[in-house]
Amino acid sequence: MATTNLFDFPPQPYTGEKARLTRAFDYLILVLALFLFIGAFHLHMALTVGDWDFWLDWKDRQWWPLVTPLMAITFPAAVQSVMWTHFRLPLGATLCVSCLLIGMWITRIFAYHYWNYFPINVVLPATLMPSALVLDMILMLSNSLTVTSILGGMSFALLFYPSNWPIFAMFHTSVEYGNAQLTIADVFGFQYIRTGMPEYLRLIERGTLRTYGQYATPLSAFCSALLCTLMYPLWWHLGKWFATIRYVKTI
Amino acid sequence: MFIHIKNYVANVFLALTCLLAAGPNNAYAHGEKALEPFIRMRTIQWYDVHLTQDKLKINEEVTITGKFHVAEDWPRSVPKPDMAYLNVAVPGPVFIRTERYLSGQPLMSSVALKLGGDYDFKIVLKARIPGRYHIHPFFNLHDAGAVMGPGQWVDVTGDPAAFTNSVKTISGETVDMESFGFANGVSWHVFWIVLGTAWLLWWVRRPLFIPRFKMLKSGHGDALITPLDKTIAKAILVAVPLFVFGAYAMTESQYPNAIPLQAALDQIEPLPPAVNAGKVNIKVIRTEYRVPVRAMNMVAQIHNYSDQPIRIGEFASANLRFINPSLGQSGKNEDDTLVAAKGLVIDDDSLIQPGETKTVSMAAADALWETEKLDGLFRDADSRMGGLLFLYDPSGRRYIASISTSVIPKFD
Ligand SMILES: [Cu+2]
Repeated sequence: MATTNLFDFPPQPYTGEKARLTRAFDYLILVLALFLFIGAFHLHMALTVGDWDFWLDWKDRQWWPLVTPLMAITFPAAVQSVMWTHFRLPLGATLCVSCLLIGMWITRIFAYHYWNYFPINVVLPATLMPSALVLDMILMLSNSLTVTSILGGMSFALLFYPSNWPIFAMFHTSVEYGNAQLTIADVFGFQYIRTGMPEYLRLIERGTLRTYGQYATPLSAFCSALLCTLMYPLWWHLGKWFATIRYVKTI
Repeated sequence: MFIHIKNYVANVFLALTCLLAAGPNNAYAHGEKALEPFIRMRTIQWYDVHLTQDKLKINEEVTITGKFHVAEDWPRSVPKPDMAYLNVAVPGPVFIRTERYLSGQPLMSSVALKLGGDYDFKIVLKARIPGRYHIHPFFNLHDAGAVMGPGQWVDVTGDPAAFTNSVKTISGETVDMESFGFANGVSWHVFWIVLGTAWLLWWVRRPLFIPRFKMLKSGHGDALITPLDKTIAKAILVAVPLFVFGAYAMTESQYPNAIPLQAALDQIEPLPPAVNAGKVNIKVIRTEYRVPVRAMNMVAQIHNYSDQPIRIGEFASANLRFINPSLGQSGKNEDDTLVAAKGLVIDDDSLIQPGETKTVSMAAADALWETEKLDGLFRDADSRMGGLLFLYDPSGRRYIASISTSVIPKFD
């Protein structure tokens, strides 16, 4: 059963008018899903990860790589459980993260930049796309909740910091400012006035992991990886329970 | 006021956009009257706050200088100021803060304040966005809120595109803060979004939900994933982590001296005492607030330990200033709305001689008590008030005392 045409993929159970109608249904669902995930996932991230994702001077080595993947694996897990179990579509995580990024960029550009005057480089969002792609691949190739929870959950967390370091490393260049050594990110926090978010509210590494010295990041990443392996199945089942298939069954 | 309304609108918009996410700023902007009166009167006691100019062009700087006394009678309901941040109430980064000093030392982070301590401060702001702004220095106090200093209007004109802000790194490289890292960050986002979108389109172009669901339920689920799909998935599974760690390693070698975010607390001691410095001792014996005439009547016992005769010139509390008009020493900004130029009336305004102890009755009277919502004091759990009393000798030398007293309301 060799595929002759590259675009001639299964499934093709319908032809003519029926094919046209089911395709229209596809687009309807996709557009609804897009808006739902942009709204819901973005809200979820803004409420849980919040300032760690908003501000350069919150993106530390300890809390940022711990909290972000842990809170971000939630919706991908739930959507994967629906998309894979019922439709064999290995795109739940990538779809969620794409929607999240759309929501984030809209907020950064309009709310932060145009309405509150922050330069966009001060409020650059982190990317979770590499994590999401790998999560989708692992689910598709393994077709197993257990394997995806363990391998997928771990890779999702472990890939987060290295995939974002190329974006944010340069903001950790040191600057002599006000008779102190600061990072460029800290200088942003000092210069670009935030009246409601004073410095002391930052939940960042304060050097309390003394025994681990410079290894704050790997330690956080592994801690996050461990938690993600638990978070993944939890939200997988949440997604399963949430997405009842009784409407689809009647078709 | 325009700015105030705009803040609310901006916050509402932000809340909608972020779908109720916490806003990045403005939460406290112009919450001058929001805090309880006893917090505004008995925590940070501001005085001598000045701005160097009130009309600026983009890129020009304005310096805010001022002093404050940290009240000894700190309200017990307010956590001690072990973590405080000297801030400026402006609607977001319409200015950037280029310098900040406390007691003459650079202040980059948060700081612990000492009760009874006297400090002076200096904040340099550089104009970034044109507009008319009401600028206040204020303190964010951890777990307590924002204690505002006096405000002043500033006009900024010019082209915002002309704004520049560069910073020099330790290695001597000059960085444009308005664009640094933007192109790099956007490029990485675009790269990953393109890859993610490609993967989505790879699937979305096929017949999706109903056909796939039917095939899966009829037992032909295996045909939904083709061998080509699997090959691509395997390639992505290997390539993405390899690429991520490769880019990570390259970044590490490009920025080998990257340091973690700096989280130290600044350590700054108060200045030598300026308030309650020992020259004048004031004990408030009884204070009544006469509601109908909006007058705070204080009976105080004043002991003059200095070698000069002195008189009371001003009472200040929560940025309200009540001036004794018979003294020409203070109240230079009579046009300021929070100054009651004739607000302080003293029954026996004769000089208090060196070594003399005199009991004086004074009335700080003005509608400001009501308009600034300080008269709500009597309905709070803590109805003590506080403030600074300024006394002058004939040469114009100033003696400052921080007083605190419980207040009894009188409704007749
Ligand atoms: Cu104001």
